[in-house]
Amino acid sequence: MQVRVRAFARLREAIGGDLMLEVPPGATMSMLLAAVGETSEQAEEALFEESGELRGYVILMHNGKRVRRAEAMTLTLADGDEVALFPPVAGG
Amino acid sequence: MTEEAGMISVTQDDFDVNEVIGRVRRPDMGALVTFLGVVRGDGGIDVMELEAYEEVAVRELEAIRDEAFANYPITAVEIIHRTGRLRVGENILLIVVGAGHRKEAFDACEYILERIKRSVPIWKKEIGEDGERWVPGESHGGDA
Repeated sequence: MQVRVRAFARLREAIGGDLMLEVPPGATMSMLLAAVGETSEQAEEALFEESGELRGYVILMHNGKRVRRAEAMTLTLADGDEVALFPPVAGG
Repeated sequence: MTEEAGMISVTQDDFDVNEVIGRVRRPDMGALVTFLGVVRGDGGIDVMELEAYEEVAVRELEAIRDEAFANYPITAVEIIHRTGRLRVGENILLIVVGAGHRKEAFDACEYILERIKRSVPIWKKEIGEDGERWVPGESHGGDA
């Protein structure tokens, strides 16, 4: 199944823009994040600590709704979902 | 109860402050408080690039407007947030709040501004003679 990944600000620059990723049915948010990290060294470094943990500044959204980091392991994705990754907001 | 009006936009286009005030003002208002945010030219900055997660930003601005109506006795809100490449001195953000009296208009305007800074998915990159830099976000917002 396909999931659309959108990234913003410094994460967009590191990941290189929006992605369409093919992930297995039943894939979780964590599995998707790992797949995004595998697309390039810059993406891996922007998203993960050396320990493999998601970096503290990464904010996650699933179909336009905030996802708690703790939920990433259990949140399963569906075909056509949109996942967004971004750093803390700075508008206004 | 007076009818409430509130327009929201996230756009590349500039706006005319007086035109927006003219659109918002009504005879039952005794106060219109306006906040105008512009690109500040400090530290050798020439240009600022603003990026938004547009659908979510619009929805979040609508939620903020609705909260302002729920929390303050105001009768109109208009919020325009620009994106794209803006030069020093150009308009970034306009908030206009109309109310019967000044206090609620000031309070609601400040509330809206602080909420925007905390939770609307918009980012700014400063570009100047010394290179470029993403403006650090003030908060994770929401439920991180």
